[in-house]
Amino acid sequence: MSPNVRLSRAVAGTAAAALLALISACGLSAEEPDAQAAPSTEPIVIGMSLPLSGPVADRAKPGMEGYQYWVDELNAQGGLLGRKVELKVLDDSFDQQTAINDYTRLISQDKVDLLLGTFSSDLNVAVAPVAERYKYAYVQPSGGADEIFARNFKYLFFAQPATTQKLPDRFVDLIAAMPAAERPKTLALVQLDDPNTTQAADLFGERLGKLGVKTVYDKTYAPDTANFDTIANAIKQAKPDLVINGSIAGDGVSLIRSFQKIGFSPQQLYQLNTPTDPGFPKAIGASNTEGIFTYLAWSPEATYPSNTGFVAGYTKQFGAAPSEDAANSYTAGQVLATAVKAVGKLDQTAIADWLHQNKVDTIVGPLGWDATGRPQGDMLLGQFQGGKIKIVGPESAATSKDILFVKPGWK
Amino acid sequence: MTLLVQTVILGLLVGGVYALMSSGFSLVFGVMRIINLAHGAMIVLAAFLTWWVWDRTGLDPLLIGVLVTPVMYGVGWLLYKTVVARVHKADHELAMVATFGVAIAAGGVMSLIWGTEVRSATPGYFNTSIELGSLVIPRAQLYAFVGALAILGALYALLRGTFLGRAIRASSTNRDSAALVGVDVERTMAQMFAIGAATTGFGGAALSVIYQFVPDSHYVWIGRILCVVILGGLGSLLGAALGAAILGLGEALTASYIDTRWATAVPYVLIIAILLIRPQGILGGRLRTDGVHP
Repeated sequence: MSPNVRLSRAVAGTAAAALLALISACGLSAEEPDAQAAPSTEPIVIGMSLPLSGPVADRAKPGMEGYQYWVDELNAQGGLLGRKVELKVLDDSFDQQTAINDYTRLISQDKVDLLLGTFSSDLNVAVAPVAERYKYAYVQPSGGADEIFARNFKYLFFAQPATTQKLPDRFVDLIAAMPAAERPKTLALVQLDDPNTTQAADLFGERLGKLGVKTVYDKTYAPDTANFDTIANAIKQAKPDLVINGSIAGDGVSLIRSFQKIGFSPQQLYQLNTPTDPGFPKAIGASNTEGIFTYLAWSPEATYPSNTGFVAGYTKQFGAAPSEDAANSYTAGQVLATAVKAVGKLDQTAIADWLHQNKVDTIVGPLGWDATGRPQGDMLLGQFQGGKIKIVGPESAATSKDILFVKPGWK
Repeated sequence: MTLLVQTVILGLLVGGVYALMSSGFSLVFGVMRIINLAHGAMIVLAAFLTWWVWDRTGLDPLLIGVLVTPVMYGVGWLLYKTVVARVHKADHELAMVATFGVAIAAGGVMSLIWGTEVRSATPGYFNTSIELGSLVIPRAQLYAFVGALAILGALYALLRGTFLGRAIRASSTNRDSAALVGVDVERTMAQMFAIGAATTGFGGAALSVIYQFVPDSHYVWIGRILCVVILGGLGSLLGAALGAAILGLGEALTASYIDTRWATAVPYVLIIAILLIRPQGILGGRLRTDGVHP
């Protein structure tokens, strides 16, 4: 190499290094002023990364609409701390690594004022440590698996009445209340590989086992499973009285369709998550939903103060009644807004402390949390009757006195 | 015993669906040496078009698939003329990258047009089966299986029996010589590619009935299609049928007897296995490395 080339490379290299140093210095020094100055007319930005495309996109859409409705209602009532609220939404396609990168970016680069949580235990278990590391209050609407809460995080809060640990309670109580001779004798557990559903499956198997229900099939399937025929066939051969399907989204519908094709209808069918999707009755046939059990955090008929307004307002804005996913998002928004208003400033630690010490009135009732962010309430048991989900447990929230103990066959 | 027989039946039927999806790809791959990674996206596009027409008119989706076929022929022709022909001249492998880009873009466009909700067409027979004693044969899969046989047969007849078929084989063996004997090579290549794309019409219709799909589903399908083609061997339609049967059986048997979680890894395990044992595929002939490249 000629000396001229060597020299010009050295100059270029030094210049590049100097430029990089300058840029990062600018980035670093910019942090100080933002924390001190409080531009009171600028909107408050709330950051989130949602699985808007990918395998659970159909459930993310009503969840997003729940957030949207919450923000629109909040702004119509004057915003938060006198400022308008904006949502900054990124799409992670249901990929954990993308979700982690998105939230890291929202916090450290975009410097959003607040965070709201993403959907599914699978994503929340990955994102919660990010929020905790940066000390941002993280209220999430849809990750109930125990492993999310097992790390003693101070900034994490779940916006449903109970975590996955208490999910099976109502249904197990129902089986326990049946005379031993009438209880289902055999159980098939089939679930998607997700922290929420696998934990629920273990709990069901264990607690129903104590009531004399024998598990004859227990398998977990990958999230990208498309063909359920062989799984449905294997379950049919095992002849279970009760099938508990830990589904997340479209997989639940695919499994039921495979059951229909294979010609197998269990005496009782309990499905997590999928039945609360608004498109469920259409996907499997409205008459086929009869008798299917599921769990819910929220009931449209509940008489909590903010609930009737929520149902009416949401129906008006979107032309259809809200679903469980929309309600969960709205609840998360309620929790965050109440805490911010109570604290009076955008101080993440103060917000987290306040939530640990106080209860929040929401559309699912009063919510309070323990030191690790676990809510202290109970879930509802629902059953499809006449094409709609009715609450059948607990009695205080029940919208139907009847319970179908035997599911009719497929039509 | 019933479990085994039923599992084998389900596996073969699913294999039929895979054969249907892969036939066009195998042809284009084997005869033209073009790896069209947008094939999965075309199947999903055909599925959306089928679903869209079914949703509005209620016509049988598989019949709609027949109507969608010429539309997909046009899409294939367009894709060839605008993207593949240009990059294929520059570098053979570039067609793979370019079509992958088209696939990603197509996924995005489909999301914009039809949204990201899960879709599927549900004609009367979508969840019914023919019963033979204690065995069941799901109808939708059976119809797709029959369709696969018909399409594979038609493609085979095309390649062996028609002038176009001979022109295609000539062009892919030796471009320049084919041109010398009067074959319009460019036009022939475009037609072949378009025919490969046309098979996705019925394949997409079958997809819409048998499975649920979203715009991003093409990632799932291209993986399986590649497995089928690599297993069966380059340029062999019978190989594609065989590869599809093996894959379908492999997935079904793994799900029933090993573990459901491993079922989705089967295509990739099979690809690795066949590349280690017999890289040219089960029915693939060895590639000539001497002589003129097409």
